[in-house]
Amino acid sequence: MLAIEADTLRRTYTSRTGWPRSRRTETEAVRGVTFEVKPGELFGLLGPNGAGKTTTIKMLNTLLLPTSGTARVFGHDVARDPVAVRRRIGYVFGGDRGLYDRLSALDNLRYFAELYGVAARDQKRRIAELLDLVGLVGREKERVEGYSRGMRQRLHIARGLLHHPDVLFLDEPSIGVDPVAARDLRRTVADLAAAGTTVLLTTHYMAEADELCDRIAVIAGGRIRALGTPGSLKSRVGDRDVLDIEAYGAGDEVIDRVRRVPGVRGASVEDRGAVQTVSVQTDRGAELHAPVLAAFDGVRLGRVVSREPSLEDAYIAIVEEAAGSAAPEGVPA
Amino acid sequence: MFRFRCRSLGFRFHAFSRLLVVGGAISYRALFNWTTPPMFIGTLLVGPLLQVFFFVFLGRELGVADDRFHLVGNAVLAASASCVYGGTMAVANERRYGTLGAVLLSPRHRVPLWLGRALPYVLNGLFVSAFVLTAAALVLGLPVSAGALPGLGLVLLVAAGACSAFGLALGALGLRFRDVFLVSNVASSVLLLLTGAAVPRGTLPGWMRTAGDLLPLTHAADAARGLTAGGGLDGRLLGAELAVGAGWGLLAVVLLAAFERGSRRRATLDTM
Repeated sequence: MLAIEADTLRRTYTSRTGWPRSRRTETEAVRGVTFEVKPGELFGLLGPNGAGKTTTIKMLNTLLLPTSGTARVFGHDVARDPVAVRRRIGYVFGGDRGLYDRLSALDNLRYFAELYGVAARDQKRRIAELLDLVGLVGREKERVEGYSRGMRQRLHIARGLLHHPDVLFLDEPSIGVDPVAARDLRRTVADLAAAGTTVLLTTHYMAEADELCDRIAVIAGGRIRALGTPGSLKSRVGDRDVLDIEAYGAGDEVIDRVRRVPGVRGASVEDRGAVQTVSVQTDRGAELHAPVLAAFDGVRLGRVVSREPSLEDAYIAIVEEAAGSAAPEGVPA
Repeated sequence: MFRFRCRSLGFRFHAFSRLLVVGGAISYRALFNWTTPPMFIGTLLVGPLLQVFFFVFLGRELGVADDRFHLVGNAVLAASASCVYGGTMAVANERRYGTLGAVLLSPRHRVPLWLGRALPYVLNGLFVSAFVLTAAALVLGLPVSAGALPGLGLVLLVAAGACSAFGLALGALGLRFRDVFLVSNVASSVLLLLTGAAVPRGTLPGWMRTAGDLLPLTHAADAARGLTAGGGLDGRLLGAELAVGAGWGLLAVVLLAAFERGSRRRATLDTM
């Protein structure tokens, strides 16, 4: 039996604006998503902001009803049998919120142990195990309002695991977490998957997805644009070389100029304070250093490095391709 | 087989009770804004006590009603601060902490989950009413016979229960609407005006009296006044208060279930 089955899932949001004559707007957040996750698999769902990742997870974890399509978790339909689904899943979301600030970590876990049906005789032992697992032993009696983001995130994970879920949904768990805490978190997630827990992970950190995931689906504009192992996704850009160029003050017109250089397949910019890293994907072996650098005319440049394509490059290529073919998001009704 | 069934039923009852009592107690500490001593004393004890004095002295000045009417009525009404606002906070504050999604993912039955949240406010309301009644009676010199105390305790308990159910029904609106504390503010004023706890109901128009009959505290205030005046416990009034409380409790459970279902369909909860 599959752990997760999503079959042409769709979700439309309806909003009204204006008064007294309100205008109704429909937005299709998820437009026919289909995928399967095997038991014990660590499955990544990647996509830009607003791509439909969280909406997909909310449909799978029963917080939202699909507008159409079906989804099952270990055979239980998420729309018709939500209680059975909830017994088998855990949900961890990133960010500062989602915990009772006035309570200690221990009381937060005690309360959710009651809510998630952990038997009274097992609660003490289970909570102690989880505090140990996430490294909060010794701090468990402190109020959560004094916790760092990393500590909160670890507490989120402990909460999600209280009832030994078969499927764990991790929605951007490492958002805003420092590198050391993020590494610990990745280790915890990898250990869970190794122990047989099915994990569905959404993240913006490609290195995290590359390290952890057995398979990855890239979602953009509410549709799955690519699905496969990290290696197979990387192979989509295997016919490319990548130039990483440090630039100071490269505007949109410069990047557009770079994209128009014959043989350039795409370009993306990452701002790091004053310096930008511009990643330029070119046809393999095209030797486009000179024309690409010439396109930066007037912009101060730093280091230029040529490298093999990474998962991030594959992701950017897929998302840019999707953006090129995207339909308008808002459909007035 | 029979023994297995009994054990299974016993286990389920134990789990139900724990969610109701333990879950309710922890959620009270997590979600009630006035648990710190300064807030508790100032908002729930001193404020209502001063309100008793205000109405008693105003009543003496205007000759609207005697001390007993205002003192006992306002003491019963004192439970409303914790019960109405507490019931609202018990649901609406989940939005504030971003915990609503995690709560709604619970596979547990919703009746003990939500009713457990109202339970601490029943005890809180009972304590506040008893304190205000005792303190005001001592300061203003209102004699209350020892024989009336058990009945008074029962009436105040039922009043606090009915008022907590009312608060939970208002809190249920927090699953659908963001600014639900606005509703609580209006509801507090409605209780002050329509229950007859502070204003003699005989002076109100008929439709207001009818509305007051459907609100918590109305019948309890009359029952408490009768007890402190030396009369016995009026079972009809106590039963009416119980029925009103049960009605609001039922409405709260129905609204919570309906809004939870609606939120899945319409995505109206900012759950994460």
